[in-house]
Amino acid sequence: MRIRSVIFGILACCLTAAASQAQDTRNLLESKESLYNNIYVYEQPPYRSMTFGHNRRIYTESVYNTRDEKDLPVDYTRFMTATLMYAKDVHSILEIGFGGGRTAWYLHRFLPDVPVTSVELDPTVLELAKKYFGIKEEPNFHVANRDGRLFLQEAKDRYDIILIDAYRGPFVPFHLLTKEFYQLVKDHLADGGVVAQNVEPSTMLFDSAVKTINAVFPQLDFYRAEGNIVTVAYLGDERKPEDLAALAQERDKAYGLRYRLADMLAERRRIDVNGGDVIDANAKILSDDFAPVENLKSIERHNRKLP
Amino acid sequence: MTAALSRAGLLAIYICSFIVGSVLMGFEMLGSRYLFPYFGGGIGTWASLISTVLCALAIGYFAGSAIVDRHPSPRTIGTMILIAAAYLALVPATADPVMANILDHIGDGPSATLLASTALLLIPLTLLGTFSPIAVSLLTRSAAEAGRVAGLVYGVSTIGNVVGTLFTTFTLIPLIGSRAITYLFALALAVCAGILFIPFGKRAS
Repeated sequence: MRIRSVIFGILACCLTAAASQAQDTRNLLESKESLYNNIYVYEQPPYRSMTFGHNRRIYTESVYNTRDEKDLPVDYTRFMTATLMYAKDVHSILEIGFGGGRTAWYLHRFLPDVPVTSVELDPTVLELAKKYFGIKEEPNFHVANRDGRLFLQEAKDRYDIILIDAYRGPFVPFHLLTKEFYQLVKDHLADGGVVAQNVEPSTMLFDSAVKTINAVFPQLDFYRAEGNIVTVAYLGDERKPEDLAALAQERDKAYGLRYRLADMLAERRRIDVNGGDVIDANAKILSDDFAPVENLKSIERHNRKLP
Repeated sequence: MTAALSRAGLLAIYICSFIVGSVLMGFEMLGSRYLFPYFGGGIGTWASLISTVLCALAIGYFAGSAIVDRHPSPRTIGTMILIAAAYLALVPATADPVMANILDHIGDGPSATLLASTALLLIPLTLLGTFSPIAVSLLTRSAAEAGRVAGLVYGVSTIGNVVGTLFTTFTLIPLIGSRAITYLFALALAVCAGILFIPFGKRAS
């Protein structure tokens, strides 16, 4: 009996191993070494993914459905669009960190009359996005090859929505996560504008990031996606759920959005940033002077979950 | 050969060689913290920082070898290090306006990042670069031991480089702000200069 269960055990192990092998049927379309990254584009029909480094599970930057350009296969990218129910007006959108450009393209397709600008540091990422991810320059859709902070420093325009999703593999460039940076973001926000930042919540960097954003923007709403948390930040008073619901309904209808704002609203969470229950009371606000992002990234968060 | 130093004097020079080596690379790592907010975290910024440090060292080595021909003494290198310390002490208060100015007037291309890293690093690191050749000449008593002494000085200072790089990156930057670290480096250099100003006297042989 025991022997049999051992055999079954071994068999089960082999099957699992085979299954995980079988799962890895993705096909490498192109790999390219850029100034900043080693970029790999894989295909597993109908999806294409762009990864930095070989491990797609950890460092996937973007996933594109080749049969449906309006699909947002990565969960958190949908929640980045929740900003649409916050902004007073939607006349211009800025994204920092383009990657495969899915979020920006989704917004462009559903809001063709609104200029969407995206900023990407790595020219090779842009090249591959155009080659494999169905991205092209169009009226009202523009991608700038620039460091995000430099772009803001020089930009004269103000935006109704600013989306921040600048990662290099698992790393966050420190100068895009400091109080001074968010001050710059705030200075480029139109009246009634809103900011969304994608943050990965498993390390202490999350606590510091939340406190840093909160140092500039008094209001933070959180949306939990698979493995990521989208932080929506704005000025002024807390938005009332009924006001958000009304705007969500109006814009769902006006733009015909596939991922309905009204549905996202149900996932909205508020937390007490300074209470010490969710966000570590010792977490420090990051500044240009003090921003040990790599170090914070290596410390796991324990037992403090969003409600 | 120059006047021989006492045992304590020899030791002092090796200790300073280590500290100067540490501060040198530690400050290069800090350079990224001063430059990134203005010029971005791209590879161009790193290339500018690294090449400026190497330029500073090259100039420092040449200048050091010229000084060796004239009047090398612990006092001379002490003075060099003290000026570098003073320069570093000025950096935290002045770096931001200088960087902003460069960004406004020259932009963020290679010439701007090179100019910014030059403004930040060239002078203090050139002064620190004069240390090794002068130290070698002070420590060498006969032509026969020149090679051995040079090897020791560069070995000790390179270990200092490694410690400075790692300690700054993994301990200091997570612990305190870049401005505070800069003051700490200035202080370390001032202490070095102080040690070198101590009259250790001549070797009793």
